[in-house]
Amino acid sequence: MNWELIKDILLATVPLLVIFPTMFALTTWVERKALARIQNRIGPNKVGVPMSRYGGKLSLFGLGQPAADGIKMLFKENIVPTGADRLFHLLAPILSLIPAMLVLCFLPLNFPWLTDEQNSVKAFMLDGAVIFFFAITGLNTLAVFMAGWASRNKYSLLGGMRAIAQMVSYEIPLVLSAVVVVMTVGSLNAGEIAKSQDGWNWFVFSPWGLAAFIIFFIASLAETNRSPFDLPEAESEIIAGYFTEYSGFKFALFFLGEYIAMFAISGLAVTLFLGAGDGPGAEAYPSLKVIWFLAKICVLIGIMIWLRGTLPRLRVDQLMSFAWKFLMPLSILNIFITGFAWHAENNNEEYGFTIKAIIWTASLLILYLTAKGLDKVNRANIKPRTYQYGE
Amino acid sequence: MNEVTAFWILAAIAVIGALFAIRKRNLVHGVFSLLVFFAGLAGLFLLLLAEFIAVVQILVYAGAVGILILFAIMLTDRVTGKDAFRVTSRGSFWGTIIAASVFLVLLLPTIQEIPQVDNPSNSEEIVKQSTVKALGKKLIHPYVITLEILALLLTAALIGAVTAAQGGHPAKKKISIE
Amino acid sequence: MTVTLHHYLILASVLFCIGLLGALSRRNAIVVLFSVEIMLNAANLNFIAFWRFGNNPELLHGPLFTLFTIAVAAAEVALGLALVIAVYRHFRSVDLESLNTLKEE
Repeated sequence: MNWELIKDILLATVPLLVIFPTMFALTTWVERKALARIQNRIGPNKVGVPMSRYGGKLSLFGLGQPAADGIKMLFKENIVPTGADRLFHLLAPILSLIPAMLVLCFLPLNFPWLTDEQNSVKAFMLDGAVIFFFAITGLNTLAVFMAGWASRNKYSLLGGMRAIAQMVSYEIPLVLSAVVVVMTVGSLNAGEIAKSQDGWNWFVFSPWGLAAFIIFFIASLAETNRSPFDLPEAESEIIAGYFTEYSGFKFALFFLGEYIAMFAISGLAVTLFLGAGDGPGAEAYPSLKVIWFLAKICVLIGIMIWLRGTLPRLRVDQLMSFAWKFLMPLSILNIFITGFAWHAENNNEEYGFTIKAIIWTASLLILYLTAKGLDKVNRANIKPRTYQYGE
Repeated sequence: MNEVTAFWILAAIAVIGALFAIRKRNLVHGVFSLLVFFAGLAGLFLLLLAEFIAVVQILVYAGAVGILILFAIMLTDRVTGKDAFRVTSRGSFWGTIIAASVFLVLLLPTIQEIPQVDNPSNSEEIVKQSTVKALGKKLIHPYVITLEILALLLTAALIGAVTAAQGGHPAKKKISIE
Repeated sequence: MTVTLHHYLILASVLFCIGLLGALSRRNAIVVLFSVEIMLNAANLNFIAFWRFGNNPELLHGPLFTLFTIAVAAAEVALGLALVIAVYRHFRSVDLESLNTLKEE
């Protein structure tokens, strides 16, 4: 046995298994609190540490809520519908959690106890880490379909079909906007992409990087079924979508998988656009990199929660036309602009401040005007909803 | 030793997945077995040090082709996933015989002549150097025309698929509720 | 014992024949389509195995050919499934044995 390798693997993966589920527990509490404040409620504030022996209790703003929820989930009855496909009904939650957990390994987290060589597990320092990330997150779609189909419930199936259509459509702008970064760095390796952004050289600080980041963020919302793109689980239309028939521990697994996928895709956004572990003091103290990385993920999650409290849900046709007629042309145009700018910068001897300013202004203008124009064209095509089976 | 174990496990996964895919009466079960087969094959590609191909295998087959087939099943067959009554075709006996004889024909050259077994270590270093970057450079330098033709083919297939699946005049059809 | 080229070749021929068996003995058009996919994948395995154990791996012929095959296969699946849907719309069935309108009675 190769004990060194096993030690390396444990050192790199066990922290992931500790950090992200903890963050999941905290995020559920933060989300409930924040949504409650947005809706002018108080939110969970009772559960804390019971200290009745010493009189009263420690409520800690309801921080005990995740633990209470977890215990409740574990002890709930596990119901499988009579007509359901038992094997697939069991496999679906597991299949939704595994890819989400697996892709966390590709993030260049730079744990201080790992040397630069072992940065992450060697097996995961693949040349094609970024594309591997997309390939494995794509498997999530199958889990959703599996859940919807195995439940043998019309609402579940509708949710599953909606999820497939949505995830397949939004994967295109997601990948195309990541292409911008990959093109500029010239590598698919997550560690190299992170390294190339050290020293405030983040990709989000350029016109094409900013546009790509916005597209990426919107598409990642849709990929993880977050509001306003949570049509697969729209409770006012199809009950709870693909997990209508899930309860107890299986439901908890789905829940966990969804949040871990959120962290993973935010982590990829941080790696690609927001400078990975770069931040004030990161060069002097490399151990700060993990903190910065996780902090940036938390900021993105915070924005997601904020959007969930603010925006109404889209309609199915709006969802589709937004992906195909707005995000996709814009991201393709963005790739062309990036190519042009990269060429001007690297193959031009007279490249200086003036040319840079001209290129930046021009690309900003082109992107802004295209977005405006596409928006106008799309708006003209949106018609009021027509009803096929009712008045 | 580890490599041999990995090979046998992955080979078993691939063969069992493929067998289930063509034998299952329930189509959706069949598609998921097919995905298991694709995953096993991706593992074999990794074992052969072709990691980029393994990634593309998962991305294209498990991600795109599997979902496409699921969509087609949902659009054509019984959504509830009832098992089909008769699955084998009339000529299935002859089909089995033909498949078996083709298998023998494919197997004969490998059994009959036993050439010197290539030593995998002599080229391992060169194989390991062939990174994604090298592949990309090859695609741009000698094979750029192929790449462009492929792009054209994919676009044509996309348009063709939409036209074929759309049918005649969808506007003229009327859905009546009875 | 090490894994040699022969292991991969035999595995690929087994997989190819499983695909052939499926294509020849099933009556559902979709199953036939994914049998064809199994055969294509078996061929890909051969390409990669020959690249890994053969001469001149630096030329990357195996992976390149496999990439092209995968792209062509993706196009083929998309078009094939569109045809299956069109056939279903016309005949209300994807059973290959019921598509016999060209046959002389």
